[in-house]
Amino acid sequence: MEIIANYGDILLILAVVFGLFMAWGVGANDVANAMGTSVGSGAITIKQAIIIAVIFEFAGAILAGGEVTATIRKGILDASIFTDSPHLLVYGMLASLLAAGMWLMIASSLGWPVSTTHSIVGAIVGFGAVGVGVDAVAWGKVGTIAMSWIVSPLLAGTLAFMLFRSLQDLIIDTKEPFKNAQKYVPFYMFLVGFVISLVTIFKGLKHVGLEFDTLTSYMLAIGFGVLVMTVGTILIRRIKIDPSENEDFHFTSMERIFSVLMVITAAAMAFAHGSNDVANAIGPLAAIYGVIESGGLIGAKSSLPVWVLLVGGGGIVFGLVTYGHKVIATIGTGITQLTPSRGFAATLAAAATVVIASGTGLPVSTTQVLVGAVLGVGLARGLAALDTRVINKIFLSWIVTLPAGALMSIIFFFMLKGMFGA
Amino acid sequence: MATNNIYGLFGKSPISPLQQHMSHAHSCIGELNGFMIAIHAQDWDEAEKIRSTIATKEGEADVLKKKLRLSLPSTFMMPFSRRDLLDLLLIQDSIANTAKDVSGLMINRKMTLPDEIFEDIIELTEVCIKTSAMALKAINELDELLETAFGTREQKVVNHIISRINDLESESDKIQHKIRAKLFPLEASLPPVDVMFYYRAVEWLGELADSAQRVGSRLEVLLAK
Repeated sequence: MEIIANYGDILLILAVVFGLFMAWGVGANDVANAMGTSVGSGAITIKQAIIIAVIFEFAGAILAGGEVTATIRKGILDASIFTDSPHLLVYGMLASLLAAGMWLMIASSLGWPVSTTHSIVGAIVGFGAVGVGVDAVAWGKVGTIAMSWIVSPLLAGTLAFMLFRSLQDLIIDTKEPFKNAQKYVPFYMFLVGFVISLVTIFKGLKHVGLEFDTLTSYMLAIGFGVLVMTVGTILIRRIKIDPSENEDFHFTSMERIFSVLMVITAAAMAFAHGSNDVANAIGPLAAIYGVIESGGLIGAKSSLPVWVLLVGGGGIVFGLVTYGHKVIATIGTGITQLTPSRGFAATLAAAATVVIASGTGLPVSTTQVLVGAVLGVGLARGLAALDTRVINKIFLSWIVTLPAGALMSIIFFFMLKGMFGA
Repeated sequence: MATNNIYGLFGKSPISPLQQHMSHAHSCIGELNGFMIAIHAQDWDEAEKIRSTIATKEGEADVLKKKLRLSLPSTFMMPFSRRDLLDLLLIQDSIANTAKDVSGLMINRKMTLPDEIFEDIIELTEVCIKTSAMALKAINELDELLETAFGTREQKVVNHIISRINDLESESDKIQHKIRAKLFPLEASLPPVDVMFYYRAVEWLGELADSAQRVGSRLEVLLAK
């Protein structure tokens, strides 16, 4: 207890610094992956992507980031173990932040596939199991998280497959694709607004102090969906068919309608990503803050302070503006075979999956979910060439990142213990 | 931050290189009409010029072929089988090769076509060119096929083109038959070795139309997956 009292401030400052560093890393690297399919489809420019990402990553982090943050903060470890030694939790969470942040830097500079989510979860489990004791880890929850890493890309793939098939049947493979796009795309816009807002209202908003009953929630979500649809429809109406552009490729005019839809979906994706990945940076910070704030009481029913979410959201935006925009530009110009219709199917499927995971409090890898979604479109014969070696890389990132994050956090944990006292 | 999973997921689409290759192959065969006229007029300079154009284009097609083959690792997930695609490429390539062989043979032997069959040869060449143009058209539909995820409506469009290819090919068969029928009574009056090579040239021209038809039928297989 006295360690907390003596070093509380410095430990908290360290936590904020490390948390910002992690959030910066998420913004610098992961956001680009989340925006990759949107920019790659040519529907939005790199500049637009960055503006969308800044606004909606931040909004997602603040409005819907609470549930996953809670999981990282107190779901992975069994809090009761730390009742007598709350400082160990502080050391461990600091060590985890530092380990995950450093591992991300090392791995990405070497060009290895990494996932922020896997690094931080590996780090927390690592210090918990080795530094404190095997019982400190809530293995049931960890098992659920691990399952979600397998299920989420599969779910996104299935959703993307179905979405894409529905696009084909209703719009693309029809006699008048342009007209049908004008007719049906507003419905998909409604879907985007509805799904994202419903999950957010149900699960996210309570962390910022807003709660609604079921009926109001549905009404609000429907209202938001209609709003998105109305704005989108006005934009679509402006698009006119231009026969000259369709001579070489018959679907150019139709794809321009999908471009409008893609803008909305890109925003949804940024929102989803913010809601899930911000937790990687601020979950440990929130845990540390909780301990120090209560003077060493574990499990004190402290709610997540909004400034912690702001640190996360702000850090992501900072990473995006300082470095992430370059990665977005690289990815955007590198992906050439996506058209807006495919980009839409894959991105919406991924965004919906990630937002559902965020609502359930499961930290998933947005990049891997997106890979699953794109492969789903590929299975529906929608893409010319996908390199399945990426699947090996995903497995590799599971096998390598988890132990690496764990090992580094164990080392940092014992270092902190030596520095501040057991 | 070098590796990005999303970036690495997207390979280079083989469709536009395949289309480019077919358009090269077609431009080889497209030269044959002018070539036959030059041969008949015994304008060897002009004929040689055309032959070397064909050879250059055939070489370019070869380069495209090799490049495409190398950019198709077996880990690629494509909406068609990799095997079918590579077969299609080989068949397209044989159009360019045969066009080069025909022109080479006729130049080397300074082959002069008998007046009796000249018009028919021109007709055959034209039908061959049309068949290959139709095959090129089918290959150029691959973008649209992909956009519709090989949907039934777009497949019908392609099947229609393929049936046009088949019609043209059987027309070329008829013309070949006609030429041989005219050639037979002339055999006695012509140098025997020349006659042998007339038959050979007609046969190779027929092969051009055959290859174009095989492009169509291989495309059909590729669509069915």
